[in-house]
Amino acid sequence: MIDLQLELSFFVLAVASIASAIGVIAFRNAVYSALSLILTLLFLALFYLQLGAMFIAIVQILIYAGAIMVLFLFVVTMLASEASDTELPDRIPWQRGIAATLGLILVGTLSYLLFTGTPMYVASTATHDNSLSLKVAAQGNIEAFGLALFHGFAFPFEVTSLLIVVAILGALVFGRRA
Amino acid sequence: MLPLSWYLIVSAILFTIGVSGVLIRRNPLVIFMSIELMLNAVNLSFIAFSRYLDSVDGQMFVFLVLTVAAAEVVVGLALIVFIFRTRRDIDVDDMNVLRG
Amino acid sequence: MINLTLEVLLFPLLGFIILGLAGRFISRTAILTIACGACGLAFLCAAISFFSVLGTPASTFVSNPAAGDQIFYTWVVSGDFQVSFGLLLDPLSAVMLMVVTGVGFIIHVYSGGYMEDDPGFWRYFSFLNFFIFAMVLLVGADNFLFLLVGWALVGLASYLLIGFWYQRRAAVAAAQKALVINIIGDFGLMIAIFMIFTFTAQKDGTGTLNYFMNPGAGGPLTGVFTSLSTVPHNYWRVVVICLLLFVACTAKSAQLPLYMWLPDAMEGPTPVSALIHAATMVTAGVYLVARANPIFEVAPLALMVVGIIGGVTALFAASIALFQLDVKRVLAYSTISQLGYMFMAEGVHNYSTGIFHLITHAYFKALLFLAVGAVIHALGGEQDIRKMGGLRARMPITFWTFVIAALAISGIPPFAGFWSKDEILGSLFASGGRLGYALWVIGIVTAGLTGFYIFRLVFGIFMGSYRGTGPVRHAHGDEEEEEPVEAELASARQPVRSRGSGNPARGAGNGSIFEAPTIMTIPLIILAFLSVVGGFVGSFSLFGDPGWHPLATFLAPVFNTVHTFVEPSFTRQWISTAVSVVVSSLGIGGAWLLYGKGFEYKENKNPFYQLVFHKYYVDEFFGLVLIRPLLWLGRAASHWLEGDALDGGSRAVAWVLRGTSAGLSRLQTGYMRNYALAILFGVVVIILYYAVRR
Repeated sequence: MIDLQLELSFFVLAVASIASAIGVIAFRNAVYSALSLILTLLFLALFYLQLGAMFIAIVQILIYAGAIMVLFLFVVTMLASEASDTELPDRIPWQRGIAATLGLILVGTLSYLLFTGTPMYVASTATHDNSLSLKVAAQGNIEAFGLALFHGFAFPFEVTSLLIVVAILGALVFGRRA
Repeated sequence: MLPLSWYLIVSAILFTIGVSGVLIRRNPLVIFMSIELMLNAVNLSFIAFSRYLDSVDGQMFVFLVLTVAAAEVVVGLALIVFIFRTRRDIDVDDMNVLRG
Repeated sequence: MINLTLEVLLFPLLGFIILGLAGRFISRTAILTIACGACGLAFLCAAISFFSVLGTPASTFVSNPAAGDQIFYTWVVSGDFQVSFGLLLDPLSAVMLMVVTGVGFIIHVYSGGYMEDDPGFWRYFSFLNFFIFAMVLLVGADNFLFLLVGWALVGLASYLLIGFWYQRRAAVAAAQKALVINIIGDFGLMIAIFMIFTFTAQKDGTGTLNYFMNPGAGGPLTGVFTSLSTVPHNYWRVVVICLLLFVACTAKSAQLPLYMWLPDAMEGPTPVSALIHAATMVTAGVYLVARANPIFEVAPLALMVVGIIGGVTALFAASIALFQLDVKRVLAYSTISQLGYMFMAEGVHNYSTGIFHLITHAYFKALLFLAVGAVIHALGGEQDIRKMGGLRARMPITFWTFVIAALAISGIPPFAGFWSKDEILGSLFASGGRLGYALWVIGIVTAGLTGFYIFRLVFGIFMGSYRGTGPVRHAHGDEEEEEPVEAELASARQPVRSRGSGNPARGAGNGSIFEAPTIMTIPLIILAFLSVVGGFVGSFSLFGDPGWHPLATFLAPVFNTVHTFVEPSFTRQWISTAVSVVVSSLGIGGAWLLYGKGFEYKENKNPFYQLVFHKYYVDEFFGLVLIRPLLWLGRAASHWLEGDALDGGSRAVAWVLRGTSAGLSRLQTGYMRNYALAILFGVVVIILYYAVRR
């Protein structure tokens, strides 16, 4: 029963996310592409929920779909052009064919490799000391994540703040009127 | 639980779609979005692995990827605005100064 | 024994260096003094050395041929191979040195007058001194290596002096021809030397190129000649060595088939022709055979070849000389013919006779050339016999000295040529066998022809009435108006040319023909004197004194491996002599009949005559068979090999690179999407690799 539910939800989410991903690249209007991307991010967040990463799911929605895509929409509407790029003459028409071929090869090979690999199911709960599920069972999801973040990954955390400062400066520099 | 490979296949498909988008579309913003799509596909892989290896490192990585993606979007969009501000039609193929 | 060979070598070298560097800036008198002084001092030292050798008993040289060997500098020491620079003084080299420096000195003096208004005066004398140096090196070297050096250097001197008036294309072509043909000879000599070295190295364990090595106290004599003379007769390696040496002699001494350069070498100034191409350089071949007599003695086969070629050449050249119109060319062919006589003598083991004829020939041939030079000088460069005549009254000294030389070369007693030529003919007659008699007949016939052609010159130049238009005064080295189309065939088709030897100081008018100035007539007189008395060092067995043969005795130690000088029987001697004198007189008589009243040139349509007149078309033949194909080959190589293959090859490399680069640069489209595609392509390749590896 549970498995059936799980499988069903998996397939629905998979189909939905792939469809909206295709929508990102297929729409002529850039705004539609942006909206499709938001949709894809949402479905991916649901995937994360299904996989037990609660905190990341919420963060994804908040930051990715909430902040980053809004930024995208600002720029898209600011740079709106009369003609969409699918109507402009393509200077390298052969690129499409080769790109499609290579893409198919890529996905085909990856699928082949993945299918012929040994199927791996979830490990049993208490297999090693660092076991996440133990911690989650003990303290809850967000606490477990927080502990790991501020104990083990404190340094990268601080470095990302530096990164953000640099990004802001870069944006300021580029954003100035010439 | 579901086999790990299913999640990875979905991730691979999303990744490939993102790659095609980068190669085929000429609107720089759509290309950027496709790159974001690629990043997210990889995030999915990480989360799946985190679950199946019963370790928090995967989620941590996604957290950091998220942060970096945010910073990258900021700078990237600023660049795009800067370059394409005064053009009528935006086509990334106009940037072919490195030709030859 | 006083050995001044080094000084004989160094004085002309010094003269050459000084004149070469500073000659341009000093006065004519100074140049003449330095040049003649250098040669004169060399002659003095040669004379002192000669008399010192004369005073040394012959037994010294018999027991140790290297008695007069002085080694000055060890040049190469490489394992067992050792080459040093040294000079050998023995009877043969002493005689040769005397001839070279003596006649050289006389000609130096003469040239002072002949070349007096040539702008290249200093260059001429520096080259002349250089030649003397090179010839002394050749003759005085004590090993084959320095013989080769001297050999090549005289070839160089000859080239420089033939092409002295380098503004004339004909002169340059002649100089090139001489050099090319001489190099063939040099090549033969080199191969011979290599073979000698390997032979001595194999036989004795240590290779050497010295003629003789001074033995240690009481030790055995070593050296090339001792090694090579103790082999079985006609051992093939020694025969090959001798034949190769003879190839070199053929080229240098202008025998068949490498004689063609000598007639063309007459493009040089007349004193040069006298010195180099009559008296000294061309005799180097005769000297080489005489020097290498121990080797030739164990290869009688090679010696036979020497004799035969000498004989055939003598006859061949004499026949051409009969009809030539250029006086210098007649003398050139005469030289070739007389050199043939010398080789004939050496071919029947009579080396001292060959050297004897070399000496007397030096006297009268130099005299002939110098006298003719005086005539040419007086006529302002005219060399065509058709435009001469009747000069007897105007140039008496020249006339009489010329006649003396003509009598000498014809072999009329008691002049020098009689004694030497007669010794040759007598020994040919005495050696018997088919070869001896055949060569004797050739010698007799040639003697007749010699008498004819030389007196044709005498009558043509000096008798009758003057047929020319008066001397034309140009400066030396003027560019000729008519240029032959191809310089390399120029000498073959060259008509007789007039050359300027301007003499503006001596009256500007035409029609004024004078006797030569004193500086030129004194040498003529000296040489005439030598042509009269020079023969008396030969053998007097003809006239009842079998013990008198000073020259042969003097040279005997050098040729002591040879059967000692065998006097032909009295009767045989007389028969041979009588026949030769009669035949020569017939020749002279024939010339007197035809030309006694002066030379009248009649165009003769007889095909035989035409053949001989055009020198048997040898030059044309070689031009067709050898020169044209070689030139074609050269041009083809230049066009195909260098143009297409090499140039084309490097251009092709450049083209490939450019093409590749152009092709590769098309990858740089500038489109970001293409670059992204390339990245994807790389990723796919990697993934495929892992898939396949699975």
